[in-house]
Amino acid sequence: MKRKILVVSIILMLVLGLSISALAQKKVSVLWMEYDGLTPDYALNLEKAFEEAYPEIDLNIISTPWDEGHDRLITFIAGGQPPDLAVIGTRWLLELLDMDVVEPIENWLSEDLINNIDPALMEGKIGGVLYGLPVAAGTRLLYYRSDLVDKAPETYEEMLEMALKINNPDQKFYAVGMSGQKYVELTEHAYYLFGNSGYYFEMLPDGTYGKCTVNDEAGIGTMTFMNDLVNKHKVTQPGVTAYRRDELQDLFIAGNLGFFMSGGFTATLLQQRGVTFKWDVAPIPHFEGKPQSSLIVTDSIVLFKDSKVKEEASKFLDFFYSDAWRLEFDKMIGFPPVTKSLADDPYFQNPVYQVMIEQIPGSKGWPLIPEWPECNDIIWDNIVATFLGQKTPEQAMNDAAQEIDNIRGM
Amino acid sequence: MARSGKFWKTESTFAYLLLLPALIFLIVFMFYPIVYVFFMSFFKVNKLAELVSFSGLDNYRYMFSKPEFWQIIVRSCMWTALAVAAKTVIGLIIALLLNVDFRGRKIVRTLTIIPWASSVPISAMIWQWTYNNDFGLLNYTLQSLGIMSNPPIWLAYPRSAFFACLWVDIWCGIPFMALVFLAGLQAIPQELYEAAEVDGAGSLAKFRSVTLPLLSGVLTIATLLSILWTFNDFNVIYILTTGGPGTSTDILITYIYKYAFQYLRFGPAAAMAVITFIILLTVSIIYARNYFRRGEIL
Repeated sequence: MKRKILVVSIILMLVLGLSISALAQKKVSVLWMEYDGLTPDYALNLEKAFEEAYPEIDLNIISTPWDEGHDRLITFIAGGQPPDLAVIGTRWLLELLDMDVVEPIENWLSEDLINNIDPALMEGKIGGVLYGLPVAAGTRLLYYRSDLVDKAPETYEEMLEMALKINNPDQKFYAVGMSGQKYVELTEHAYYLFGNSGYYFEMLPDGTYGKCTVNDEAGIGTMTFMNDLVNKHKVTQPGVTAYRRDELQDLFIAGNLGFFMSGGFTATLLQQRGVTFKWDVAPIPHFEGKPQSSLIVTDSIVLFKDSKVKEEASKFLDFFYSDAWRLEFDKMIGFPPVTKSLADDPYFQNPVYQVMIEQIPGSKGWPLIPEWPECNDIIWDNIVATFLGQKTPEQAMNDAAQEIDNIRGM
Repeated sequence: MARSGKFWKTESTFAYLLLLPALIFLIVFMFYPIVYVFFMSFFKVNKLAELVSFSGLDNYRYMFSKPEFWQIIVRSCMWTALAVAAKTVIGLIIALLLNVDFRGRKIVRTLTIIPWASSVPISAMIWQWTYNNDFGLLNYTLQSLGIMSNPPIWLAYPRSAFFACLWVDIWCGIPFMALVFLAGLQAIPQELYEAAEVDGAGSLAKFRSVTLPLLSGVLTIATLLSILWTFNDFNVIYILTTGGPGTSTDILITYIYKYAFQYLRFGPAAAMAVITFIILLTVSIIYARNYFRRGEIL
């Protein structure tokens, strides 16, 4: 009997002890985006290593696919349960500032960490205040089959010329990859538009965004060219409106595409999957007579005002931004490093990273306006209408511009 | 009885007490959100879904002024009508077959429930891969068997994408209908069929005069539930096409989601939710009236 009482008492004490230690731990939640190339193990290992280093903190990394990240974050916020930290596309920051939910992250960062970030990448600095700590930043690239073409095309006109030669739909080989199904952002359109000296809005002298300009000469010219690739020259994969960006990537990796534009993460995937064909990267092409310009995408980490564990969240940032963890992260996601301490690391001295870095000066980012998600969808829908032959490029871009200006009250 | 007093003595009061937790649950998780959405639809709402100022019918006017919104209402009704009709007919045929005594019937009944037992998002994702033009099983099978040399790219064009989504919804919904109908069929007394046979009724006559009338109650309830679920079926469309190409497969529920959680325009989203509620409430009332009227007649 005594023995039984002893065993029960020990179990009760253990349970009580565990409960007390669990209660004493402070919980930090991080909404984490699943980058292409980033394995699930990375987040698990990071969580485990951090908790070992800081046993008083219970870290909860909530992994989310990128294309669901925005909606999931908004659902958390609208439900009054924002995470403590979240990885976001920097273009969402104005929306979050509009909702008054983000904290100036600069108040919670150690000096060492702030000084180790390249200032040129601080797109999350609004009105002189840093709200978003850069987590990834990189320009986009042209991937091409170097076993099929002698050199990378510099212009889209050259690319079309090469595409007509290598396109072989009977063998399920398509010269140019084009996506038509919504997937986070309309990246494909941006690659062509920026290469034609176009942009989505006119920039006003005070730095704000004016009327929508997708229906100017550059915008209509871009849409006409894209539509011609799909419907006139038929050098893209058929049924472009069924393909998301990630499905195009799969198609390139499977060896079914000649040219495909994407981020550095595709290079990581090509290496991870050990493709047998020869491929290479080059700067994003531009139209003849127009300057080269790539899309630059930055992602940031934000801290939420409602967080009760800002200090603990700050400790996590220090941990995550240490060289060992950042190096592995940067390698996997295929972006150049955002920390100065890794800039000279031998791993990043290869053509993929060099091209990404070389393109930075002429590159353009997404518009920073709170209504961008809706504007993005409106442009997408009109691009699709053009691909389906429901509208001419001019009609489609005029309709898009008009609807966007109406929404923004212009 | 340790406790005394009138309150505990009447059975109905005690029953109300037992119902109280469920009632509180309903008020908090059902009535409050519904009432709040009603309010939102008449207010200007900020990006945190908080009411800012009364705006009357502005949210409704905004939605009604969009031609796309009317197309989506029509599409939602068509989607529901076609899917429920197909699920009912196929479900009834399967139920009739499963009601016949044959060897292996139990196994077939178990297999029938699989699409219903698996989660809808997982089923939709599997179908998305199945429809894939380059690596999908469907087109590969069609080509390999020589049924189609050049099969369509199912999710690329508005009409084929709509029917591809519709089929997945039907596929997911058939087992429920079949099992409910089967339960209804098994409740029909065998003597009625024997009496009909004595009167010289053939299979079709027995189905028309015995099975259908006695199954009508089950049919009404099952189709009503199916209408409510199908009209609000978000998963299939969102996973397969996200409403595309363009907005050609959007139905009201996916459109509401876009407005609320992608554009953060909770006012127009709430107006659409109220319209959805009114449509479904009207259908439910008509069904309920028919059901109870038939009950009185029987």
